[in-house]
Amino acid sequence: MRKAMVLIASLFAAAAWASPEHGEHAAVEEHGAPAGEHGAAAGEHDENVPEYIIHHVSDSREMEFEVPLGKPIHLGTLPSWTLGNCTPKMTDHGEVVPGITEGCLDISLTKHTVMMFVAAGLLLITLLIWSNSDKTKLVPRGTGANLIEMLVLFVRDELAIKNIGKEEGPRYTPYLLTAFFFILFMNLLGLVPWMSTATGNIAVTASLALCTFIVTQVAGIRAAGLGGYLKHLTGGVAWWLWPIMIPVEVLGLFTKPFALTMRLFANMLAGHIVLFFLLGLIFILGHPGVAAVSVPFAFAIYLLELFVAFVQAYVFTMLSALFIGMSVAMGHHGHDDHGHEGGHSHDHGAAHH
Amino acid sequence: MAVKEPREDKDGDGSELGETARQMRAAQPYIGAVWKLTGGAVVGVLGGYWLDRWLGTAPWLLVGLSLVGICVGFYGFLREMARLGKQK
Repeated sequence: MRKAMVLIASLFAAAAWASPEHGEHAAVEEHGAPAGEHGAAAGEHDENVPEYIIHHVSDSREMEFEVPLGKPIHLGTLPSWTLGNCTPKMTDHGEVVPGITEGCLDISLTKHTVMMFVAAGLLLITLLIWSNSDKTKLVPRGTGANLIEMLVLFVRDELAIKNIGKEEGPRYTPYLLTAFFFILFMNLLGLVPWMSTATGNIAVTASLALCTFIVTQVAGIRAAGLGGYLKHLTGGVAWWLWPIMIPVEVLGLFTKPFALTMRLFANMLAGHIVLFFLLGLIFILGHPGVAAVSVPFAFAIYLLELFVAFVQAYVFTMLSALFIGMSVAMGHHGHDDHGHEGGHSHDHGAAHH
Repeated sequence: MAVKEPREDKDGDGSELGETARQMRAAQPYIGAVWKLTGGAVVGVLGGYWLDRWLGTAPWLLVGLSLVGICVGFYGFLREMARLGKQK
C-alpha cells in the first residue's frame, strides 16, 4: 500500500512538473519577463481551481472527459427536451429559459440524469447476474451472490425489521432495498474516473426523499386509517385553531424529508470538493512539491469516500426505515409510547383499532 | 453502527425493534411538541408577511398573525406537554 501511494504521488508530481503551464513559466523566466507578469499568471491559477471544481461537481448538458492538466475532451451536448411554453427570453442577465411557474417543464437529459440511468442499468445487470434464478438451490454460490445476499439480508433484518417492526417491516423492505442499492450505485459511480455523482445533485436527493415521504405518509394512513391520519394533522386542538395548527403540522411533516435531502446531498458534494481542493492545492500554491503531501491526503480522502458511499446509502435507508416505523407507530400509539394503561385517554384514541 | 441488538420484547407486541428505533419512537412526541412551538411562530410570521404583501396592509397582519402564531405554538406545546405528563 505504501509503495503504491509513493508511486501515485511521484506520478502526480511528475505530471505537475511536465505540465504545459509550468513549461510556459520557465520560458517566460528565461526570456527575462517582468515579475509582475509571472504573478498575474499565478493569480490566474488561483481562480481556476474553484472554477474547475464547481464545473466538475455541477450538473450540465455537456458530456465530456475531463483530462488532468488539460482541456476536457468534448463528447457532445445532450438533447434538450422541454414541454410547454419554453422560448428563451432576453433579460438584463442574458437569455433566460422560463421556469415551471411560467408553463415550461424542462425534462432535458443532463450529466447526472445519465449517471442515474447508468446506475440503474448497472444495478439491473448486477442483480440479474447474481440473483438466485434457480429456486431449487437456496444457498447462493460465488462471491458476488454472497455479497449481494449479505447486503439484502442486512437491509431486511437490521434496517427494516429493527426500525419498523416484525409485522410491518417486510412489507416495506422492497422499497428500502431499492433505495439502498440505487443510492449505493450512484455514490460509487461518482468515484469512477470520468463519471459523476448523481447524489451530489440536490434535485436527485430531493426526489429520493420525496419517495420516502410518500411511502411514510402511505404507511401512516395504512396504520391509522385516513380519519386517524387527518386527525393527527390537526394536532388535537379546538377546531377554530385548525387554520393555524394544520399548516404547522403539515410543515412538520416536511422536516424529515428535508433532513434526508440535505444529508445525502451535502455529504456527497463535500467529499468531492475536499478531494479536488486537496489536488487543487498543488496549483494554488504553485509548487509541485505540494503534491508529496496533498496526493497522499487526497488518496486517503478517496478511500474515506469509498466508505462514505456505503455509509450514506445505509444512513438514508436507516432513516427512511425509522420514519416509516414512526409513521406506522402513529397508528399504534397505545402500544409503543405510552404503555398499556391509559392509552385511550389521548387525542389519537380514534386511531385505535 | 447505530443499530444495536434488540432488547427483550418489553412492549409485548411481538416486535424486535432496535435501540435507535425504540428511542426515536419514545422521543417522537417531544420532538413533535418542540416543532409545534417553533412551527407556530414560523407559520404566523410567514403567513402574515405573505398576506400583507397580497392585501397591501403592511405591517399589521404580520404583527397580528405573528402574535397569534406564537400564542398557538405555546398553546400546542403546553397542551402536548400536559398530555405527555399525564401519561407518564
